[in-house]
Amino acid sequence: GVFAHLEALEARAHTAAVEQEDTEQRVEKLARLRARVQELRLRRDELQAKVGLQQKGVLLLCTLTAFPAEPRARAVLEWKIRSLKAMLQVSYLTGISAKLTRRGVCFCLSTAYEGTYLGSYYLDLLTKPQVRIHRHSIPVFIPLEHIAKQYLQTDIRRFLVVLFDHLNAYTGRRYQAEQLQERFADRIEGTVQSNSLCNLLVFKYNVLSKSETFPFSVRLLYSDLCSSLPTEVTISCAPEAPTSLAEAAAAHSDLFRRVALHKVF
Amino acid sequence: MDDSICQAYEDEIQSLEEEIKLLAEKYEDSQQESTFFSDEEILMSIKSFQREFQGEPKGHESPSDLKTQLESLERDLSFLMKFTGIQFTSHSKKTVEKTPHGTLQKHRLSGNCRHLSFQLEFQLLEVQNRENVSAVVTGLSIIMESGGHSDVSKFVSRTEEHGNLLTFFRSLSTYAEWCEHRRRTFLYFK
Repeated sequence: GVFAHLEALEARAHTAAVEQEDTEQRVEKLARLRARVQELRLRRDELQAKVGLQQKGVLLLCTLTAFPAEPRARAVLEWKIRSLKAMLQVSYLTGISAKLTRRGVCFCLSTAYEGTYLGSYYLDLLTKPQVRIHRHSIPVFIPLEHIAKQYLQTDIRRFLVVLFDHLNAYTGRRYQAEQLQERFADRIEGTVQSNSLCNLLVFKYNVLSKSETFPFSVRLLYSDLCSSLPTEVTISCAPEAPTSLAEAAAAHSDLFRRVALHKVF
Repeated sequence: MDDSICQAYEDEIQSLEEEIKLLAEKYEDSQQESTFFSDEEILMSIKSFQREFQGEPKGHESPSDLKTQLESLERDLSFLMKFTGIQFTSHSKKTVEKTPHGTLQKHRLSGNCRHLSFQLEFQLLEVQNRENVSAVVTGLSIIMESGGHSDVSKFVSRTEEHGNLLTFFRSLSTYAEWCEHRRRTFLYFK
C-alpha cells in the first residue's frame, strides 16, 4: 500500500544520504592528504635547496632555521655548547673518559683492538667521604674488588689504568677468538671453545701432510690477564701422527705465542 | 579506487617525513661543522645574552640555563684533561655520510700531552647496535714532533699503520704519568 511505498522511498533517501556523506568524507580526506603532501614536498624542496647551498660552500649567516628572529648571541652559545659536547663525545676514543656527577665521577672505559672499538664499561664512583664504587658495568669475571682493594683508596689513576688494562686485554682476546671463528671457520674443526674471561681457548685445526690430514688440538692459556697474547701454548696431535709433524707443531706453537690469533692462519 | 589513491598519498607522506628528518639533520650538522666562533665572541655573547633577555622566550632555554650548561661542560672537560694528562686544543668533524645504519665522520683533533703536541686526522664509522655503539677508525694520520727521537717516529708510524688510536692515547697518558712521577721524584730530592 501507500505506507509500504513511503517506507521504501524513505529507505532509499536514507541510503542516498549516507552514500552522499561517505563520498563527501572521502573527497575531504583526499583533499586533506593532497594538501599535506604538497606542504611536505615544499618543505623537502626548501631543505634540499639549503643543503645544496651548504655543499657549494655558501655560508649562511642566519644560523637558525626555525627561529629566524633569534639574537646572534644565543646562536653563538648554542654552537659552543654543541662543540664542547662533541669534544666530550669523542673523548671516549682515548680509552678513559669521565663525567662529573653530583656526588662524584662516572668513568667510561672504552676498549679497542687496533682500529676497532669493542665496547665501553662504566664505573660510577662516589668521592665523599671516601672514594668508593657506587655502580658499574664491569663483567663479574674481571677481578674488580681485588684491583679496588689494591689501588682505589691510594691512587685512583693507577686503579683505572690497571682495570682498563684488564678490560682491554679481555675484549682483545675475545675479539681475536671471534675473528678466528668468523674468518677461518673452514680451517677450524668445530668451534673455538673459551671460558668467560677468554683466557683459556681450545680449538682444533687440520694440518695437511703428504695428502693426509691430521687434526691438531690447540690449548691457549693467557695467564697474564693484561695480555692479549698467550703465555702457554699446548699443541697435541694424534698418537699415530708422523714425527715430522712434531716439528710443525713446535713451529705453530711458537707462532701462536707471537702472533695475534686471528692473524695466524 | 579511491582507497589506493589514499594509500599512495599516505605512503608518500611517510617517505617525505623521513626524507625531511634526514635533510634537517644534515643541515644542522653541516651548519655546526662549518661554523666557528672565537673565544672572545663566546664571552661577548654570554654578556650580551644576559643583558638582552629579560623576558621568558617562547619555550627556549633561558640565558642562565645556557650559561650553566656551558660551565658544566667546561668543568667536565677540564677535569678529564687534568686526569688523563691529555689536553684537546681543537676539534672539528665533518659528516661524510649518515644512514640509518651508521654515521661516517671525518675528525680533526689537535691537542697536547705535556710538551708533546699532536694533530690527528681520522675517519670514524659509528654503528648503533642493540646494546652499544661500535666504532671503527680508518685513515688515521698522526702528526707529532719526534724531537729527533727515532722511537717516537717509529711509534707514530706503527700506530698509524694499524689504526691504533687507543694505543696512541694510552701511551701518551702513560708518558704523562711517567713525567709526573719523575718531577715528583726530583722534587723529593731537592
